[in-house]
Amino acid sequence: MIRLPAPLLVWLLMFLALAGKLHAQQAEGGRAVLVKALLSEDQDEQIQLIQQLVRLRDPLVERGLAAWRQSEVFLLERDGGRVPVVLDVQLDADGKARAIQLLNGEFLKDGSGAELRFAAAELTGAENTSKLRRAIKATMDLYALSDPNEKIRRDAAIKLGQEQNPDYLTVFADRLKEEVSLEVKDALTEAIALTRAADADPTVRIPAIQQLGEMRSINGVGYLQELEAKAKAEPSKYGAETLNAAHTAVVQIQSYQAWGNLLGTAFRGLSLAAVLLVAALGLAITFGLMGVINMAHGEIMMVGAYTAYVVQNVFKSWFGGSGGGFDLYFLFALAVSFVVAGGVGLALERGVIRFLYKRPLESLLATWGVSLLLQQLFRHIFGAANVQVTSPGWLSGSFVFNDVLFAYNRVFVIAFACFIVVATWLLLTRTSLGLQVRAVMQNRAMASCVGVRTDRINMFTFAFGSGLAGMAGACLSQIGNVGPSLGQNYIVDCFMIVVLGGVGSLFGTVFASLGVGITDQILQPWLGAVLGKITVLAAVILFLQWRPAGIFPTRGRSLEG
Amino acid sequence: MKKSFRSLLTAAAGLAIAWGVHAAETVKVGVLHSLSGTMAISETSLKDVLLFTFDEINKAGGVNGKMIEPVVVDPASNWPLFAEKAEQLLVKDKVAVVFGCWTSVSRKSVLPVFERLNGLLFYPVQYEGEELSKNIFYTAEAVNQQALPAVDYMLAEGKTKFYLLGSDYVYPRTTNKILKQYLKLKGIPDSDIVEIYTPFGHTDYQTIVADIKKFSAGGKATVISTLNGDTNVPFFKEFANAGLTSENCPVVSFSISEDEFRGLPAKELAGHLGCWTYFMSLKNPENSKFVSDFLGWVKAPVLTGVDYKVTGVDSKGRVTCSPMNLSRLGVYLWAQAATKAGSFDVDKVREALIGQKFKGPGGEVTMQPNHHLINNVYIGETLPTGQFKVIKSFTGVKGEPFSEKFLTAK
Repeated sequence: MIRLPAPLLVWLLMFLALAGKLHAQQAEGGRAVLVKALLSEDQDEQIQLIQQLVRLRDPLVERGLAAWRQSEVFLLERDGGRVPVVLDVQLDADGKARAIQLLNGEFLKDGSGAELRFAAAELTGAENTSKLRRAIKATMDLYALSDPNEKIRRDAAIKLGQEQNPDYLTVFADRLKEEVSLEVKDALTEAIALTRAADADPTVRIPAIQQLGEMRSINGVGYLQELEAKAKAEPSKYGAETLNAAHTAVVQIQSYQAWGNLLGTAFRGLSLAAVLLVAALGLAITFGLMGVINMAHGEIMMVGAYTAYVVQNVFKSWFGGSGGGFDLYFLFALAVSFVVAGGVGLALERGVIRFLYKRPLESLLATWGVSLLLQQLFRHIFGAANVQVTSPGWLSGSFVFNDVLFAYNRVFVIAFACFIVVATWLLLTRTSLGLQVRAVMQNRAMASCVGVRTDRINMFTFAFGSGLAGMAGACLSQIGNVGPSLGQNYIVDCFMIVVLGGVGSLFGTVFASLGVGITDQILQPWLGAVLGKITVLAAVILFLQWRPAGIFPTRGRSLEG
Repeated sequence: MKKSFRSLLTAAAGLAIAWGVHAAETVKVGVLHSLSGTMAISETSLKDVLLFTFDEINKAGGVNGKMIEPVVVDPASNWPLFAEKAEQLLVKDKVAVVFGCWTSVSRKSVLPVFERLNGLLFYPVQYEGEELSKNIFYTAEAVNQQALPAVDYMLAEGKTKFYLLGSDYVYPRTTNKILKQYLKLKGIPDSDIVEIYTPFGHTDYQTIVADIKKFSAGGKATVISTLNGDTNVPFFKEFANAGLTSENCPVVSFSISEDEFRGLPAKELAGHLGCWTYFMSLKNPENSKFVSDFLGWVKAPVLTGVDYKVTGVDSKGRVTCSPMNLSRLGVYLWAQAATKAGSFDVDKVREALIGQKFKGPGGEVTMQPNHHLINNVYIGETLPTGQFKVIKSFTGVKGEPFSEKFLTAK
């Protein structure tokens, strides 16, 4: 053991105690300020206090601010005063949690010292307005600059750069020194340049503008355009150099943006194509391969979507409304909806369709009737209003690549579309079952002669197509509405895709959905959603005039009749 | 046998007397709201609140000593059927007044019927204006009682770029046309106003949201949404997934009230704004009474004073909203005017209606000579609970149907 001279030891101890105390004081100060802000009735004072908190960082303060923004700070009436608390994340069996006091981080207790428990649903959150939330966000963004999560740091840098507040320059510079991630460094450099570009001094301003141009700063283009316009209007104030620099930078950024737009359009087209493909694939089997004009296809999708809703509710009751366990519900929902919708399809085939294989027009009427029945049935069970399917955490949000936004649910639908197309293709071409299916579809009498049990194959194929439709419904519940009219919204598009692709051709369906999806997204920015859709429909009609059998005409049972 | 015959006779006599008394002491009023079809989700709530209001008035003694007897018809979200049903109410049932219509197209469809037969219609749902019939009283919000205050608020918040997004039909198009002129008057250049429409039931908002994301990059933009019904779900989902929030780009929706909120994902909408002349969350004695009475009534719906069986009232998860409040106000204003006129004659009631005041849950309203109300306007922020929190209120805004008047006046 090292021996320290006694006076030094005393000093050291005092220093440690002091440092600890200082730290504690700072934390306490932050908490006290937060509590004061929460209890204040004056919004301007509240905003001022929230801004002070930037320098008084403390985990509990951060948590309190985040909770306040979400209306999850509760003001409890205690002994005549109000005590701001947040609820503990741990819930007990009744769904209640202990209340953590923001002032000291201790659990709230009653007179006898027992911890009090509350249910969030029974309390009303402390009020917050958009102005307050913006102030809270700004403080949290400044905290976020040193968040362990890279993405959060980057977003914070972008956000704070937009404010062009010269006070932040030192914060950015300090952060830049210790930053390790390249992306965050870029964002910080951009934020510094953007802040400097608003400087009154041209020698600071112009290099910053040029830098923004070099960086292809999409976040800066709005400001630069504004600056260019202002410099044009008041040349005396800004000078020709600023105008030139701004103009060059805007041109640089815009040409880069055009490239990004192209990528964005391609992705959106692909994503719409995937939605159409997922929706139409089941129909490509039941109508395309089997030749049943299946008007109930949309309603089978609806069955799948409602199945996802039910599975979600079951998981909610097991795991609560969020978190890892709940987030898994969607994978189960996909599987369950395949089974449920397949079952409905099976019943439909056995009950109605098998009597109508030789009478396609009557199958149209019968399946339409079934679709009305199903709609009414679901309206009766779940009510006429739409139900809400919450997206799991991993399907919410997006990531950015080359300044193009990729939403997770869209990426998922594209991946899912690829998966089910490949799976279906493998099933049809690489298994003996698929061979039998194709045989029956091409010539039922002949297949029957060589010993294929056509009846069973029909049943299986229809159930499989319905199962796909059910999965499609579950998948679409992540993108659109789930209600009794879900099917009707998609049925026309589905038939259009299958007919356009060529009835009976799986790849025709793939190409048709790609064609329609991408064309639609290319036309939309020019023509708007309404005219864009009309144009696509008109183009499909013209195409079918030219090639009535679709992109890939095949000889199938439907063409024999 | 003899005894039962006599009891039958007494019963019959009693019935006859009761019927005679009834016939003398009731006044028939029409309720013209779709109870089936696409609009049923919204309009059924208005039928419910009307019956509730009739019950309130009957309990307090009726109008001119007579009990209100409703004639409820179902125009089934079918616009021509609205005209037929209106004619039936006025000619066959001879109702004193009709409360009804939601969509503008249904109102336009019944308007000639009411003018030809000199009927009286109260219309309760925010609309695009540019219309004034002597036979219609518009308790609804006019454009200058909803869209303009919302835009004023956004301008005051420092927003300078406006993205006008709507469903493709008459209300959004007319409202946005007026808004564009108004924004121009306020010095917003054309380049900072975008106007976009999507079809009913549109589900693919990728391009539009990407566009909004670009448009709002500087943090100065706001979306003014007149999107209708469930297209709001895919829109707000896409909006939230793109990382847009009410802090970097707030959305003001004109078609989402507490009632619509029941079918929308509350989490994604929280923080965005709504603008109406009434919110369920308003704190005043009139509103507390209205809300608690109505929520109590839906559990055991009855209609006092007349022989009418109330059916089809859902008691689960009910709320009150602006169109419901305005429906109710219409009934009270009509009842007061009929009392003042001492008659149910359409011409006399119409005259007496002008200048009628009523202190309702949204504050005091006055019927103006232009058949629109002077009413308070509130801007509210949506909360995850499906309620609105009032963040700004404008008192005594005079409803004006014709945009040329308020566009030149300022």
